[in-house]
Amino acid sequence: MELTQNEKKLLVALAPLGSADATTLAERMKTRPEAVVQYANLASERGLVEVEKHVALRYLPTEEGQAYIGKGLPERQLFESFGDAIPMRDLQKHPLAKIGIGWMRRKGWITIRDGVVHRTGNAPPGPDEVVFARLGETGEVPAGEEGLLDLVKRGLIREEEAVNYTISLTPAGRDLLAAGLDLREEVGTLTREQILSGAWESLPLRRYDVTKLPRRVYPGKTHPYQRLIDEMRRVLFDMGFAEMSGGIVQSSFWNFDALFQPQDHPAREMQDTFFLAERWPLPEGYERVRDMHEHGGDTSSTGWGGRWSAEKAQQCVLRTHTTGLSIQHLAVHREPPVKAFCIGRVYRREAIDPTHLAEFEQLEGIVMDETVNFRHLLGFLKEFYAKMGFDKVRFRPGYFPYTEPSVEPEVYVEGLGWVELGGAGIFREEVTAPFGIEHPVLAWGLGISRVAMLRLGLRDLRHLYRSDVEWIRETPIYGGGR
Amino acid sequence: MDPGDAHLRRGAVRVAIITLSYRYLERLTGVDRGTIIERLPMIGADIERVEEDHADVEFFPDRPDLYSPEGVARAMRGFLGIEVGLPVYDVHPSGITFSVDPGLADIRPCLGSAVIRNVNLDEESIESLMGLQEALHWAVGRGRGKVAIGVHDLDAVRPPFHYIASPRDRSFVPLDFEREMTMEEILVDHPKGRDYAHLVENFPRFPLIVDADDRVLSFPPIINGELTRVTTATKNILLDCTGTDRKAVMTAVNIICTALAEAGASIESVSVDGEEMPTLAPSERLVSVEECSSLLGIPLTPGEMTRLLGRMRFGAEPADDSRIRVEIPCYRADILHDWDIFEDVAIAYGFENFDATLPAVSTIAVEHPVTRIERAARAVMTGLGYLEMIPFTLTNERVLYTNMQRPPLPGTLRLLHPISEEQTVVRTDLLPLLMEALLANKHRDLPQRLFAVGDVVEDCLTYQKVAAVSIHPAADFSEAYAAADVLCRELSIGYSVRESADPAFIDGRRGDIVLDGKVVGVFGEIHPAVLRAFDLEHPVAALALDLRAVPGYPAPPGTPSPGGR
Repeated sequence: MELTQNEKKLLVALAPLGSADATTLAERMKTRPEAVVQYANLASERGLVEVEKHVALRYLPTEEGQAYIGKGLPERQLFESFGDAIPMRDLQKHPLAKIGIGWMRRKGWITIRDGVVHRTGNAPPGPDEVVFARLGETGEVPAGEEGLLDLVKRGLIREEEAVNYTISLTPAGRDLLAAGLDLREEVGTLTREQILSGAWESLPLRRYDVTKLPRRVYPGKTHPYQRLIDEMRRVLFDMGFAEMSGGIVQSSFWNFDALFQPQDHPAREMQDTFFLAERWPLPEGYERVRDMHEHGGDTSSTGWGGRWSAEKAQQCVLRTHTTGLSIQHLAVHREPPVKAFCIGRVYRREAIDPTHLAEFEQLEGIVMDETVNFRHLLGFLKEFYAKMGFDKVRFRPGYFPYTEPSVEPEVYVEGLGWVELGGAGIFREEVTAPFGIEHPVLAWGLGISRVAMLRLGLRDLRHLYRSDVEWIRETPIYGGGR
Repeated sequence: MDPGDAHLRRGAVRVAIITLSYRYLERLTGVDRGTIIERLPMIGADIERVEEDHADVEFFPDRPDLYSPEGVARAMRGFLGIEVGLPVYDVHPSGITFSVDPGLADIRPCLGSAVIRNVNLDEESIESLMGLQEALHWAVGRGRGKVAIGVHDLDAVRPPFHYIASPRDRSFVPLDFEREMTMEEILVDHPKGRDYAHLVENFPRFPLIVDADDRVLSFPPIINGELTRVTTATKNILLDCTGTDRKAVMTAVNIICTALAEAGASIESVSVDGEEMPTLAPSERLVSVEECSSLLGIPLTPGEMTRLLGRMRFGAEPADDSRIRVEIPCYRADILHDWDIFEDVAIAYGFENFDATLPAVSTIAVEHPVTRIERAARAVMTGLGYLEMIPFTLTNERVLYTNMQRPPLPGTLRLLHPISEEQTVVRTDLLPLLMEALLANKHRDLPQRLFAVGDVVEDCLTYQKVAAVSIHPAADFSEAYAAADVLCRELSIGYSVRESADPAFIDGRRGDIVLDGKVVGVFGEIHPAVLRAFDLEHPVAALALDLRAVPGYPAPPGTPSPGGR
């Protein structure tokens, strides 16, 4: 049985007394009664002492009661302020008249006739006054006194619980004391000298209780969402992709026109896209994009027809996707093979609710090479989703303005069934031809906040961006698989 | 890629959801509802709801020909191999003429028309026709601006018809009203008038369709007259499609005519300024089998490709050894390019039948220098015990400037049409957003040490910053300085420090991080007035650093030019 130093001190203090209350022991041990009780509880778990808890009620004056101490209850003070009789009008001028008159009548000390107050007799002090007087002398009175509860009800006295502990040695405790205790101070942290001198060998090293949980500490951490993003980046690096990055603000030209999105497409209306007053000059060679829109340029396309407005293409937007970056990347990396990806924030003009945000992250991957085809697109999708932990993937026809063919991948999620996760396709020739990109470009993308919801078990997307510190602290860095 | 386009279709923007009654669809296709529901997604549709007697199905905006049960049945019959190849529609001249007023040239110049005889309408089919009309208004008509469609009881009026630019005070009884109203009144008092007034209100004259007796059929693109209301008693229909884009107008005419023809009606042409329309004739393309094969990654023979195209209701026959002559049905508005046809080959082949595979191409991963720098900043801050936050990039000037006691930066980008007062500008700094995060976490244990790394935008230029805050009763200048110092050292920034004048910090407890004479960061103890503006009660030690100061930060990513061919 390894006692703590404090338990030993308690036993020693208790030895001459056999039994004592915590306050007494605290004085002897030069500590606080609460500490004594804590040591005693430890010792009692080992059967060395018994701890008995006493709850006593005590009674103390309230703030109002305090004002009457030494002067008597209000009715007594009022009673003493006049002789046998007094006109009511005069008595009411007394500061205690309001409280006192009622109580004098209730106690039968007075009668009132024709507006005059008459004493009925001598009015000996009642039990309440006796108790109140004792309270004035001693500061507190024990429970059970007659008249006490009346004063509590009147709000002159309040009840308070006083807890005290009696601590007594058990026979086992006495035996231990009789056998002698090693009262040398226990050593907590070892000092350099103790280690070097070898003194540690004979020191009583404090033993720690392993069943007690340690203080909870937290490491500095990246955000759980960032860790998911990094995991995706890792997957794409593993697959040999180069990373792209670029500006949040794009001209409509790069965000829409270069992607063959017609100028009257609903996505280009102000209720769906955040437009800015700023304008961005069109790049050199923009005419090829214009021609593509108007008549399909030199390809087999008819284009959209109508007139293409350079004015409209210059207007800046907060990018609605990162696809504008992909085409800009391809425009300067025209030699195959190109494999590139981007994870970045995109913007939609949407009212914010638990599943819709005006800004969120999107992942996008592109593959350009001489002989890549639709089967390879499906292959990349399958591989990527499998690496993200979605083993079951299926494909349905889809529609995106800048890909043909287009596909909507769905992944199987336990408990949810098939979930649409992103979109994919081969860039239309109308998109690639104006930039001199001569080979097929496979492209796919997904809103990764959807993945975050599935993986992090979130119900409200806003928590990703307005995070609770507690959630970040408690979300483990390594989730233990998926 | 824009998966959000799907999100767009479902989100703020209108959605083309078509209600398909099983009974009618089963009659038109000849297969049971189970097969239809199971196979429909594989031609390109999302089943939104499956009900007792009908399903609500969302079709893609490039396929308005699927916005009617007749159009869906036509496609499904082909896809399931029940009826393949080009659907042929007979058109006979009706002898009816329609004139177009040259005064409409700058208002709404295009007119398409047709006569549809022997329609057999019940309440359900009228509703389905109205549904098709509305979906076309959205998908093809772009909210009636590009195309607006009117259907009329032909027998209530007398040809020839005239599409004219009318004075604005001409009156007639519009649909759903009992009294005559002037066209100007309609724009104010009729619900449709209010919805679409913006399309015409600035013109000196309004488009109007009248018959031989000068009776009003329609005020396009706003409302028809009550006179030609289509009811279950209607036997013959006059169709008018007006608009600003001839191609889109004819697409709408073709889709409506062929849908009604599928339902059993016969189509007659109208002579519009001497041009007989519609012809409902296919257009033609010669496409390469080899090109299709290599795009899809499946070996195709001309015969196989012809068979697959037939299933998608194209007319197809081998033109020579390597090419196929494809006849494109007049209702297919989405075929702009040969690859649009190849996609249909893929759909007919069945997406589920493609053998997904990875190409044998070797490439090497490259991390972007900016994310590499961001990653380094994260490593330093987490090493110091800070927790990462990923705040919104959209915020407002109160948070960004007023609360921080800072003057607004001139390069701050303001949204033209913000959606809430909370999000009106793009952030130019991260520190204010971390202050907001501290407020949101006021009820959590202290100390709290938070940081963020991410994009900020000034004058359309995106770059990256890192910022950090530490709140606890003993947070002070020294803590901020120590953190700023180690951050700069770990990022290899050879910086110097001078006293700062940033009003967000306490005078005498603030420093600017200076590199090559330029301020690239700031640190110190946050000003108590700023603390109170964010409703915080303890001192905050803070720092912010422009990551462009880090060696190796790439040159500002301008918009690259597309370059020559």
